[in-house]
Amino acid sequence: MKIRSLQLSIILGFAVLILLSIITIGTFTFYIFNDTLKRNSLDSSSQVVSQLNRQIDNYISNMDNISQVAISHPDVQDYVHGLSNDKNFLTSEADGESPSQAKNRVTSLFQSIISVRKDINSIMLLLDSKTLVTNNPLDQINPYADWPATTSTRTESGPFSASLSSSYVQDIIIGKYSWVITMSRDVYDFRTNQHRGVLLVDLDYSIIEGLCNSIQLGKSGYVFIINPMGEIVYHPRQQLIYSGLKEELIDKIKNIPNGQLTGEINNREVLYTTKTSEYTGWTVVGVSYLDELFYNRSEIEYYFAMIVVACFLGSVLLSYYISLKITRPLEILRRSVQAVEGGNFDIEINVNSTDEVNGLAQDFNIAIRKIKELIEQNARTYEQKRKHELKSLQAQINPHFLYNTLDSIIWMIECGESKDAITMTSTLAKFFRLGISKGGDIISVKDEIEHLSCYLTIQKMRYKDSLDYSIDVDPAIYSCRTLKLLIQPLVENAIYHGLKGQDKIGMLNVFGFRDKQDLVFKVVDNGIGMTSKELSEIFNSNSPSKGSSGIGVKNVLDRIQLYFGLDYGVSFESFKGKGTTATIRLPAIIDSEL
Amino acid sequence: MTRESRLITILVIVSILAAIAITVVYRKNNSIEVGLEKKPKIAVVLKTIDYRSLAFWQTVKDGIESAGKDFNVDISIQGPMSETQVDEQILIIRNAIKTKPDAFVIAAADYDRLIPIATEIKDAQIPLVTIDSFINGEVADTRIGTNNYDAGQKAGAALMENIRPGSKVVIMSYVKGTSSAIDREMGVRDFLKGMVELEDTIFSRGEISVAYDQAAHLLESDPELKGIIALNDPTTIGVARALNDSNKKLDVILVGFDNSLSVLGFVEAEVVRDTIVQKPFNMGYLGIKTAVDLINGKKVDAFIDTGSKVINHQNMLLPENQKLLFPVTR
Repeated sequence: MKIRSLQLSIILGFAVLILLSIITIGTFTFYIFNDTLKRNSLDSSSQVVSQLNRQIDNYISNMDNISQVAISHPDVQDYVHGLSNDKNFLTSEADGESPSQAKNRVTSLFQSIISVRKDINSIMLLLDSKTLVTNNPLDQINPYADWPATTSTRTESGPFSASLSSSYVQDIIIGKYSWVITMSRDVYDFRTNQHRGVLLVDLDYSIIEGLCNSIQLGKSGYVFIINPMGEIVYHPRQQLIYSGLKEELIDKIKNIPNGQLTGEINNREVLYTTKTSEYTGWTVVGVSYLDELFYNRSEIEYYFAMIVVACFLGSVLLSYYISLKITRPLEILRRSVQAVEGGNFDIEINVNSTDEVNGLAQDFNIAIRKIKELIEQNARTYEQKRKHELKSLQAQINPHFLYNTLDSIIWMIECGESKDAITMTSTLAKFFRLGISKGGDIISVKDEIEHLSCYLTIQKMRYKDSLDYSIDVDPAIYSCRTLKLLIQPLVENAIYHGLKGQDKIGMLNVFGFRDKQDLVFKVVDNGIGMTSKELSEIFNSNSPSKGSSGIGVKNVLDRIQLYFGLDYGVSFESFKGKGTTATIRLPAIIDSEL
Repeated sequence: MTRESRLITILVIVSILAAIAITVVYRKNNSIEVGLEKKPKIAVVLKTIDYRSLAFWQTVKDGIESAGKDFNVDISIQGPMSETQVDEQILIIRNAIKTKPDAFVIAAADYDRLIPIATEIKDAQIPLVTIDSFINGEVADTRIGTNNYDAGQKAGAALMENIRPGSKVVIMSYVKGTSSAIDREMGVRDFLKGMVELEDTIFSRGEISVAYDQAAHLLESDPELKGIIALNDPTTIGVARALNDSNKKLDVILVGFDNSLSVLGFVEAEVVRDTIVQKPFNMGYLGIKTAVDLINGKKVDAFIDTGSKVINHQNMLLPENQKLLFPVTR
């Protein structure tokens, strides 16, 4: 089940890896994106607040200009001067003009200013003597109203000795309760440099309200304005604040005149953006709800989550595909190997892929073919070995050799050479004993030589003086391995083909020695020799020549090569008329068992 | 099916289920924001939309519009030109039901005559919030307004600070049988019980001239009279004018109700010693807030007190009272 767990590991590994990377990268990107979004929102609310501040500054500086123009205007100065000369202005005259005329000029001045400045609610000149001049000649002082203090005693401060009020209800004129913001400025009689009163320029509060109301911060964000004392100049939900139904963190805001802070109000996270005007001293506060600021955050979160899921799905499917591509050929290979294990060598693995596994499969195919060949070859070799063994066994009891030998013995007995007959019979007995005694094909050199010497003894006795022989084998190789009936067929061959039938004495020499790692046996005769054509035919004839022991040279060569490999074998050297040398070459293997 | 195919199938199913779950959760969390068509619609029917002459309703409207912005709801404000046009208001409500609003906020022009139309609203499964003036019975989901009994008690307490116990006091009410008038009078009576000598209540029908005449007559005919409590705005104005025109400005203490500019002028002049003011902005604002709560299936109280405040010469121009008393004119 190893292959399955490999596939599982691939699928799970891929899925987890991709999921982790997506989540890591995604989270990172998401945070950066969020941060950028937040910073952009903060920047934009800062801009909105700054812009509002500038607009308000603009209005206030207009008021300031108007009040400056008004107090230094000749009409106002004339009126103020005229009054100071005679407190009872109803009867006094200044510069040939009645005070009421001077007052009318001031009134019409104020009226002309207001007619071009719709944002100014009213302009009032309040003199120490509880005298009021406004833009409307019908205005009367509200006797119950508090008389406004001169600027010098006011705590509010602004540039140019003028002071700016918060928003409030102006009740100084009877029957009028207008929401205004007042710019007040001390009035001096320039000719005497005496303080004479206050000029009030009332900015219509609804102007500020309109400005602030037009600002949209998110869906339900808003702006409000506080003065340096923390009093509310404008707030769209002022009544709710006073009723305790809403709160603002004014104490905290006061400490941050320019900047941003977050807080929680009515269970909602709120971002305050503050900007304080140096000119008015007012702080414009932008209030945005963070959840609205990031109203599309949840949308991004949604898409992000969907992408994660999609990538996960994709990675799972892809990893499944990849794992299949890896493990399916492996699985096929495994099944094939199992089949081979079961003994089926006829299969051809076809994994239908082009990768490494295919290469492996091809190699495996080759290996199986080789194994199959080897097994077949092995079977053939074994069969041959059996055949040859059987043949060599047959050779040992070759009836011709036996008949000839028995004929010789009979002949010896008839001739009265009983001693020779005994020797021959006993040698024949030994010859057969040695040949049969060991069941296997492999015997020691010593046994083989003994067997050979028995054979040669018999042949010598048969041929008498026409054959002479010698066996010269190094006793050091006696314990080496050789095959049964290796030398004897060659000797037989030399006798029957080389020596027999020639006039001179046939000389046969057998040598055995060690040549480095090899054993070498040489059978040398001085017979008729062979032509190169005869030499080449030696190995071709499978059947032994007539009257031989039945084991041909070919059989000897085959057996040597079957047992010891192709490096070993039999070779002949022959010169016509001079004789033949047969050389057997075997590996020198010392067998302690033999 | 192999283990791997099973695993793959499970993972694929899990992915798809996760996608569906995420979508469902997302849709649920953003139900109000997704699509403008889902913005709740609230139909507001006031007693009158004559804002110029009645600043009270202008302030109610400001509160309604502020809340509409804060709670992100669509609001339509309708109403008859006069508070007395009850049939007109019923007709407006009937037409509004046809537009299938998500909630109704109504200031009832009549305590009893609006019961059938209110029942129609409830039959249409629409939440109903009443503000300022209510409807008899429990047909509305909630009532939001001044606790008039409480306001009456405050008026009594304000009067007692300025007169000696045992003094002669008269209550000048407006329309007999009006729920607010009954509650206010009861509050005053319960507070003053045993402390002063209470005359029979006089009804001005809510008209300045009638109140003036009644007060002028009283001031002239009863030298023992030390205190007057006028229970609504026109009555207060009428009595204040009568008092201002008499020579008893300093002898008779007048405690009034409401805060029209005329009343406030008399408060500044100390003809009206104290006036009990309501909080119309809060009524409007809380009316919408409560309607949104009802739309969202939240439980709301049967009565929500928007509170009242005692205003006099000393505190009328304090910053926290200016916004309450003086509407910003546009």
